[in-house]
Amino acid sequence: MDSLIAASARALAAGDALGALKRVALRDDPPALALRGIAMAQLGEHPRARELLRRAARGFGAHEELARARCVVAEAEVAMAMRDLGGSPRALAAAAATLDAHADRANALQARLIAARQLLLLGRLEAARAALAPLDVRDLPPALAAVAELTAMELALRSLRIGPARAALARAQEAAERARVPALSAEVADARAALDRPAARRLFPGGEEALRLDEVAALRASDALVVDACRRGVGAGDAWRPLARRPVLFALARALAEAWPGDVDREALIACAFNTRHPDETLRARLRVEIGRLRALVAAQAGIEATARGFALRPRDAREVVVLAPPIDGEQASLVALLSDGAAWSTSALALALDASQRTVQRALAELEAEGRVRAIGRARAQRWLAPPLAGFTTILLLPAALPIE
Amino acid sequence: MNSTTASKKDKPEPVSRTAEIVREYGPFAGATSVAGVTHDGQRVWAATGAQLVAFDPASGETTRTLDCTCDAGTAYDGTYFYQIAEARIDKIDPASGKVLASIPTPGHGSDSGLTWAEGSLWIGQYRDRKILQIDPVSGAVLRTIESNRFVTGVTWVDGELWHATWEGDESELRRVDPDSGAVLERLEMPRGANVSGLESDGAELFYCGGGGSGKVRAVRRPRAARA
Repeated sequence: MDSLIAASARALAAGDALGALKRVALRDDPPALALRGIAMAQLGEHPRARELLRRAARGFGAHEELARARCVVAEAEVAMAMRDLGGSPRALAAAAATLDAHADRANALQARLIAARQLLLLGRLEAARAALAPLDVRDLPPALAAVAELTAMELALRSLRIGPARAALARAQEAAERARVPALSAEVADARAALDRPAARRLFPGGEEALRLDEVAALRASDALVVDACRRGVGAGDAWRPLARRPVLFALARALAEAWPGDVDREALIACAFNTRHPDETLRARLRVEIGRLRALVAAQAGIEATARGFALRPRDAREVVVLAPPIDGEQASLVALLSDGAAWSTSALALALDASQRTVQRALAELEAEGRVRAIGRARAQRWLAPPLAGFTTILLLPAALPIE
Repeated sequence: MNSTTASKKDKPEPVSRTAEIVREYGPFAGATSVAGVTHDGQRVWAATGAQLVAFDPASGETTRTLDCTCDAGTAYDGTYFYQIAEARIDKIDPASGKVLASIPTPGHGSDSGLTWAEGSLWIGQYRDRKILQIDPVSGAVLRTIESNRFVTGVTWVDGELWHATWEGDESELRRVDPDSGAVLERLEMPRGANVSGLESDGAELFYCGGGGSGKVRAVRRPRAARA
């Protein structure tokens, strides 16, 4: 390392990004490009930072694979800050392997954390879980440990595993306190607030009650037969039937559950399931078919009895029937509730789940996107919709660990 | 003893062996890295960024510190320190730590190692793979010696010119021909022990700045070289 690189790195480590930049502004050798890139990223100039880090990575020689790998990691983190998730996961994995081979544990872990967070941002929860599971966060810099725990918390929360989510959050908070990084502590506080926000409403015949996420999880884990209009599914305990792709069955289940223990008249069921007020014989026949399908799906937890005027839900083993709805009414709230599973949804899948037209869903999504409450990835037919991450994914504070200081 | 890879056939192959690390010092309080090192006859001085730290090589204890900017190579001419800071060489009074004069570095800040010999300063150009002999008053370049590796520390001892290399995570101490730049002898540092600065104690040891490890390592100078 030469003298201006040392001086610039010293300034950067002290938080003086402009001072760091000033010292190497006119230099184009790879270490200078890398420092300029990191300084630019800290100043929020992400596209420029990315270009500089790319040039730096290309410029390092055959003997300097460690420095090159650190640049690849820093560039991936800048790309994530830009929410540009199109980068090559293979390059990041190769960089992580190189960092491991050179015993740079902290940066190797950072590379793998970035990969896991990218998968999470892409809605690929299973892959994200698989990427996060083998990471050993002990003995790591507390800032990295905090980010790892926040990522674990988000994954647990998306699948309604509240206990593990709270445990991860507690560990994240402890690590954030040790790291003494205000931005990280703020993220932990935000994540905690997300746990305490109303996540659903429980509907009763005469009223409703707001539920937090852990109360939703407790209900879902209980013996009660839950008809969940947030996640579009029916089930009790482990026996969970997603009905997002079967809107007619879900509408019937919800109508029956809302009337429980009473029955619902045939015409009302036809009106809510088939969107018509003019029942005829073919619709009556269709209703019988759909009720038969629903009966088969929930057979283990409940029966559906024909009554004089319609049908009634009869849960087995004296189970309770619970109806959950999004925290507020309306298409937007229903969309946000659906996306809260963290998976990537296409517009057509959302339209199918909500039994609304694609046009309607697109309009609602556009409004939500403008408010920053949903995100889109991909273009045209490959476009998918996701809920924004619960933790904000702090970016710049991790970059100095990727410094190409030799 | 390690074998060398085949180099050009018309040149004799340099003697190559593993460096024998005798002792490690540091990391030093308040410092995260060591750049240049020098030896004043009794103590070893290490450049740690914002402070020159002097320690007693026998006990390893820090005996003095001087507050001054010290980003890369350090040299001592018997009276004054010369220290690379950003893109200049400061001439420093060892008693007060005051900067008495400054000249611009020939590499405009791409400079690494520094040593004093024969009335000149010798300065390593890191990625340019060169060693320059410069006039300590004017900064004028008197001679250029080409290397084929990144040059960090530079030192003269008993008429031998040694320099350290650090490329990727491989480091060596090399004795080179001051006229042709040909490598005469190589001491390979173990993996992970990288050399930022280099100084001889004038006898049988080299002191090596350990970069980001924050350490100074003492390496035995080979006997064969002194025979």
